[in-house]
Amino acid sequence: MSDYQATNASSSGVRLDKKTLKALSRRSDRPGLRWLATWAALLTGSGTLVYLSLATWWIVPAMLLHGTLLAVPAYSLSHECAHGTAFRTRRLNEVFFWLSSLIYIEEPTHRRYAHARHHTYTWIKGKDAQMSFHTPLTAWSWFMEISTFGHLIYEARLLTRNALGAFDDEVIEFTPASELAKLKWGARAFLAIYGGLAAYVIVTGAMWPLVYIVVPRLVGGPIMQVFTITQHAELEEDQPSILRSTRSFRSGPIGRFVYMNMNNHMEHHLYPMTPFHALPTLATALQEQVPEPDPSVVRINAEVLSIAVRRSLGLDTTARHIRQADGYAGREPMPAPAE
Amino acid sequence: MTLSMADGWHRVCRADEIDDEDVVRFDLGARTFAVYNTPSGFFATDGLCTHEEQHLADGLVIDDIIECPLHQGRFHIPTGQAKSAPVCEHLATYPVQVTDGVVYMHIADD
Ligand code: FES
Repeated sequence: MSDYQATNASSSGVRLDKKTLKALSRRSDRPGLRWLATWAALLTGSGTLVYLSLATWWIVPAMLLHGTLLAVPAYSLSHECAHGTAFRTRRLNEVFFWLSSLIYIEEPTHRRYAHARHHTYTWIKGKDAQMSFHTPLTAWSWFMEISTFGHLIYEARLLTRNALGAFDDEVIEFTPASELAKLKWGARAFLAIYGGLAAYVIVTGAMWPLVYIVVPRLVGGPIMQVFTITQHAELEEDQPSILRSTRSFRSGPIGRFVYMNMNNHMEHHLYPMTPFHALPTLATALQEQVPEPDPSVVRINAEVLSIAVRRSLGLDTTARHIRQADGYAGREPMPAPAE
Repeated sequence: MTLSMADGWHRVCRADEIDDEDVVRFDLGARTFAVYNTPSGFFATDGLCTHEEQHLADGLVIDDIIECPLHQGRFHIPTGQAKSAPVCEHLATYPVQVTDGVVYMHIADD
């Protein structure tokens, strides 16, 4: 048995009694189906606004709204399904894992294994498979992250390599050998679906895939990144405590809905068995043991951008409103927590 | 019927010490096991997930499935079969008997 302690509640010195955890982890299809129905209704509404505003300047806000409502929840659902916690029924979970991952643009087998790795080695350099941007963030790495160019370039390369069976060393390290064929065929299926859609648009001249899916996904991508960058940016690397590597933030109902309560990201990493609908209750149960959530997603992003720019200019990078690793704020890093 | 240690049977706990749809950890020497109370009865498997060796006793029992606490990989408890990624290696299972309200599991010598 290995001595490595995965990054989670016990590596962070957080405790919750078994009965409470079991009650919070209980699965149900109903909250997930209700969330899906609401998402479908919102997308129908925003898609209608796009349709009504075609060939007018109103297309800009309509597209921004539709893109946000397409991209952010697709990320959130794909993530929740990667954990298998969106629905109690496994098949429902897997079907929506595929569909949402197609919109998010990450092949599901890779997403699941890379994300498992991220939970085992949260924010540990060279080990965490989802440390997408270079740390600490500079203005350039911030741009690559927020624009989604970083994600798109990474995925184009990864899908191609996986489809060819030319797996990166990192992929081989975290994917069991028996799953590599699934990874290869999953990547081929993804490329075939994206290629098929492109061929359909070119051959038939149909514009609807571009207007209602492709362009909105690209427009909504940066908003999606605005949410995901909050999770670990400016926090501490290479140590075992989730309390120091991961951030939660306060959010209103719209943010909580599109992000499936992942504003409670610290609590999610502490107890990843907890389904999205129980995360607010988990956060309340743990509030005495964890740092205060940071302010809103907007405030975090404004400050992260300001720090990234200041860092690129060689200026003081101390955060004023958000949590920040001591090393990044010019303070001596805290010692690692005792085992 | 008497179940004796000499025959490889080990007392785990009283049956009412494992809630319905729950799991407890049972250690024997250097080995660790997970013992379950499921809607289909009591079962025992190896205690560590075959993916990254998390204690399954910290996981969630859903009907006849144990879900690992770290990455939510799933095993079918009665057979130990790996059911969903990231787990793909099966778990070893062990015979269990409940006698006079006490749960015993059978562990053959290595
Ligand atoms: S350690 Fe059990 S699923 Fe990863």
